[in-house]
Amino acid sequence: MAIGCDQVRDLAPGFVMGALDAAEMAAVRAHMSTCAKPHPELREMGGILPYLGGSLDPVEPAKHLRAAVMAAALADLQARSVEKEAPAGPVAVAPETAPVLTVLESGRSAGLVSLARVRALRTRRAATWLTRVAAAVVIVGLVGHAVAVQGDLNHAHDAQATANNFYDNLGQPGARSAVLIPEAGRKGAGDAVLLPSGHVEVLLHALTPTTGDEVYMVWSSVDGGSVVKAGAFTVDDTGVGYLKMDNVPPTDSLWLMVCREPNGQVQKPTGPAIVTGTIWVYSTPEPASTF
Amino acid sequence: MKDPLVVAPPLVMPEGSSEGQSEAELMRQVAAGQIGGLETLYDRYRGMAYALALRITTETGMAEDVVQDSFMGLWRNAGRYAEDKGSVKGWLLAIVRHRAIDSMRRRRNGVAIADETEEPLPAALTLPDIWPEVAGRLDALQIRVALAKLPEAQRDAIELAYYDGLTQREIATRTGAPLGTVKSRMRLGLVSLRRELMDMAEGFAGPKGEG
Repeated sequence: MAIGCDQVRDLAPGFVMGALDAAEMAAVRAHMSTCAKPHPELREMGGILPYLGGSLDPVEPAKHLRAAVMAAALADLQARSVEKEAPAGPVAVAPETAPVLTVLESGRSAGLVSLARVRALRTRRAATWLTRVAAAVVIVGLVGHAVAVQGDLNHAHDAQATANNFYDNLGQPGARSAVLIPEAGRKGAGDAVLLPSGHVEVLLHALTPTTGDEVYMVWSSVDGGSVVKAGAFTVDDTGVGYLKMDNVPPTDSLWLMVCREPNGQVQKPTGPAIVTGTIWVYSTPEPASTF
Repeated sequence: MKDPLVVAPPLVMPEGSSEGQSEAELMRQVAAGQIGGLETLYDRYRGMAYALALRITTETGMAEDVVQDSFMGLWRNAGRYAEDKGSVKGWLLAIVRHRAIDSMRRRRNGVAIADETEEPLPAALTLPDIWPEVAGRLDALQIRVALAKLPEAQRDAIELAYYDGLTQREIATRTGAPLGTVKSRMRLGLVSLRRELMDMAEGFAGPKGEG
């Protein structure tokens, strides 16, 4: 329906509040798209909305929300890169072994980080943390299943290719992933993905740069077993870290913890845990017998 | 021999943003795909965005989803932000409100409202803040004081539209007041609120200078 300036002035309060019927909203929009006359009433009343929103006292959201937002943005950024460029070649990796993981379900789509998933993981993490701590006293050191792949990512092309490849992998059928959530007061977030080939990749951002011999060490535990060293990486002032692991054995769950360690020779976690997360191979790891 | 290390990719993430950067500069960073800008904006407005989402949805899980979705909306549409069309805070809160109300409507009716970050924003949401200088002077408490000065019926009309996403017709049904009365209450309430906020802002600014 076509309306005139007088009607727009009458409808202005409801329009700025989004409180008109759909047809009226459309009519005001249509008028404003063609009307050359000023409509200060819309500006005057519409400008109040931000203050209505600002009338509430701020409420601190859960800390994992920040990590989820940044991980989603990073995933989106990588998705854009993938769209713009031809798919990058794979990162140089150590010789692969035969697939060893039984992956039961297709993975999620790339790019979006489900907060429901984050919340579920946090719940699970609380239940599994004590198990991990107990296991941590029986560190078995660097073992066969957890060998870091040592690609040299000094070059920008490699860096971009790595990130692109990571988010491609995140969307692979059969891939299982985890959001790596920062521990309280720690800086950093990211994702880990377990591929049907048995590789695990970890991509983190917003990490504090390492100095000297410092490294970020990835510790892992399969099905609640011993905590072992999976590999290490350093971080420059970009705050980004990446690690790829081969030969992960068959598992129902893979728990990961990234600690900042004084050097790469430590045989058990000594530094503060920065992020943790668990990749669940089964779709419903919670007790199924509760119903 | 040291453990072989994987060196972090150097170009994926940009430098973070400092506290003192302007909103326009931060939005330029976000539009350029720099996570640091988003981090700073998130740190600056997370409490405000979450409070609004929680007020509308009344549920922490849904509020978190709304906030995440809203910041992603800001992230993906930052290139459309125009400094002269209003503050980032106002834009973000408009997105939060829109998405929160949308979530509630989906829950109630399975009906979604248009995605304003994918389609042109309603003109009202792209209008400049009327008093950019006011924002820096009025805190949440003062705005609540201004709201509290409104007659209850006017305040209810505004809050039912703003927080519950009701149309004027729905407010009329909810309150039992005639539609024309609801329209009048909303108009008078907005005009009075604007005047009250202006008075408060001028009070903080002191007498206007002569030159």
